[in-house]
Amino acid sequence: MSTELIIPKLQMSTTEGTLAEWLVDDGAIVEAGQEIYALETDKSVQEITAPESGKLVQKATAGETYPVGTVIGEIVAV
Amino acid sequence: MEHNSVIANATLIEIYRQMSRIHEVDKAIQAGLSSGKFMFTYWPMTGQEAIPAAIAPLITEKDHMVTIYRGIHDQVAKGVPLKGLFAEALGRVDGVNKGKGGSPHISDPSSGSMLTTAIVGAGAPIANGLALAEKMRGTNNVTIVNFGDGATSIGAVHEAMNLAGVWRLPVIFMCQNNQIGEYTAIPDYTASENFTDRAEALGFRGVKLNGNDPIAFHSGMKEIIADVRAGKGPVFVEAETLRLGPHAGVGWSHLIKKDELAAAKAAWPVPATRALLLERGICTEDELASIDAAAKAEVAEAMEFGLASEATGTEEMLLDVYGDPDVVPTRGQRTVRAAEPEFSGETKKMAMFEAVQDALDLSMQIDDQVYCLGEDIGDDPGGVFKCFVGMQSKWGERIRPTPIAEQAIIGAATGSALVGMRPVAEIMFADFVGVCMDQITNHAAKQRYMSGAATNVPMTVRMIAGGGIGGFGAQHSQSTEAMLLHQPGLKIVYPSTPTEAKGLLMSCIFDDDPCIQFESMMLTYSMKEEVPVGDYRIPLGVAKVKREGTDITLITYGWQVMQCLQAAEELAKQGISAEVLDLRTLLPLDYDRILTSVEKTGRALVVHAATEFCGLGSEISSTINETLFTRLKAPASRFGAAYAPIAYSRVIETAQIPNASSIAARALELFK
Repeated sequence: MSTELIIPKLQMSTTEGTLAEWLVDDGAIVEAGQEIYALETDKSVQEITAPESGKLVQKATAGETYPVGTVIGEIVAV
Repeated sequence: MEHNSVIANATLIEIYRQMSRIHEVDKAIQAGLSSGKFMFTYWPMTGQEAIPAAIAPLITEKDHMVTIYRGIHDQVAKGVPLKGLFAEALGRVDGVNKGKGGSPHISDPSSGSMLTTAIVGAGAPIANGLALAEKMRGTNNVTIVNFGDGATSIGAVHEAMNLAGVWRLPVIFMCQNNQIGEYTAIPDYTASENFTDRAEALGFRGVKLNGNDPIAFHSGMKEIIADVRAGKGPVFVEAETLRLGPHAGVGWSHLIKKDELAAAKAAWPVPATRALLLERGICTEDELASIDAAAKAEVAEAMEFGLASEATGTEEMLLDVYGDPDVVPTRGQRTVRAAEPEFSGETKKMAMFEAVQDALDLSMQIDDQVYCLGEDIGDDPGGVFKCFVGMQSKWGERIRPTPIAEQAIIGAATGSALVGMRPVAEIMFADFVGVCMDQITNHAAKQRYMSGAATNVPMTVRMIAGGGIGGFGAQHSQSTEAMLLHQPGLKIVYPSTPTEAKGLLMSCIFDDDPCIQFESMMLTYSMKEEVPVGDYRIPLGVAKVKREGTDITLITYGWQVMQCLQAAEELAKQGISAEVLDLRTLLPLDYDRILTSVEKTGRALVVHAATEFCGLGSEISSTINETLFTRLKAPASRFGAAYAPIAYSRVIETAQIPNASSIAARALELFK
């Protein structure tokens, strides 16, 4: 089972977000609640936490801007 | 944490259990939002969990709670079922409010969570109404209204606190001071040193408590709630806490400096209370893990339930606007409503103000849940329009003179109506609707819909429309019905005779939706007629032909009925037979009688004292033109006041509002 990581709509005004930085390496095991990436929207940076525990699979490059709803990775249950 | 207060171990464990549930709900929502599993706007309460958790053991479902859009923690601790809560936040059919309110508008009377507002501070006047109902019914139930420190800046909170103080209401103003109002922190929006002084200034107790210390907070609240239950009047509580999250969204607040965030997280009551239970040997790690696991499982099950529920569909769109969906004015709808039977009983000569008083008095006799509130309605003067002369001495506290504070008046009416009372509020002049528009339109009017009919607001508001008399000026002369007609959820009547003022008002009072009665200053004292004695009601949504005719229908209401009847006399002199149709009720609108009349005459002019531009006349004439296009002898038109504030100069006022001769002149244009 896996949980997709999607660029979230954090504010009413959010239409896109910049994946500023992956805080965890690709393939690493993460705990639910652990900060896994930094998202820059509307000029503020927000650390996004893992919704589930499992293995992080990165599917998008840091430093790029993506529309809300874009799948940028997943967490695969281990 | 301060540990000098006494608390039973079982109570502290229960408080932690509630905190754990709140925390799991917060985590589940944030996880779902940040993974993109679902999308809705979320205003996290992270950091404020201890406040409702520590209150929960002190109250029952009979005690009322009002909160705000951030108050998910308040809902969880109050006992709103989590399945229904999640389904509601997702806009699903199994939500506690059928997915029509959403997380910012939860109402769950079964747990005592009566209303959730997304308008900062607006819950406070409504909480007064809930508390008033309990006080008048002689119970010892308390009402707690939650709001943030940001809400202390808004007028509604001040008005509500002042009224609660003067009426000694059993209400607790729970200011969850999380140090920031949305994005603006305390030193930037107020020069106040503290908030509790504001309560002291209004004559009641203000108490500051540490909202992050569940033991001290619980102890403080235990004493406060006991006092309020005992009838010692309202208390304002400043519960100091810290919002760890952003105003909206997920994660940590970027407005807390990095170096301060570590300290803030250390003071966070969820892990701190857990650590305390361990440290004191009250719980083992296994016991705490079991509490957390149970909370997590409950939340997971609720989330799954919510996600499995269907999105609320369009078949619900026009339901719950009113109790009866036929009231919704939809194009082409021609609901036929029976008129009142011809009256043949005993009558008495009355002016409109006397007929209104008769309706109020009878309604209070019929139902002990009817009461009246408004400015100056006590003796003396018995209401500025004399509708209440002698009433206070007869009915005592069921006639409630208020401060000059329309938001407080409408809020109190709304809150008490939420629990089944039938308040009748007077707000004097119809122009004053502007100062209580939020309470009327965002709260009373929308509440049935937002709550998916879990609640409704059977209140009546009376207001007097000046105009046509001269000398009242721009702020006491306007006919403001169009503003209110544009707000789904209200029923509006506008009588033109004393008999109809009585009959419509009694129907409004016993209607289960919020009703507004406009009374014309022009008619209040000048017109007298024989009015039925005893319980007399005119059904809402039934227009009445006041003069029969064959060539044109003058469609009107309120004091313009008199003007139209005179205009019809002038038209008769020119050989034109005008029918005058008095709408009596503006919503529900009697399209059947409107169209029936115009089908006969082939011409229509809608006349009102309100501004012509975007007035009810435009709506009605447009519908007539669309519906009866091929049968009209001329396009239906409308005639209202000129587009200007009502002037003080009598010359201008007379000219700017329709009168008999200008109506006749406009009607004649339809014959060219």
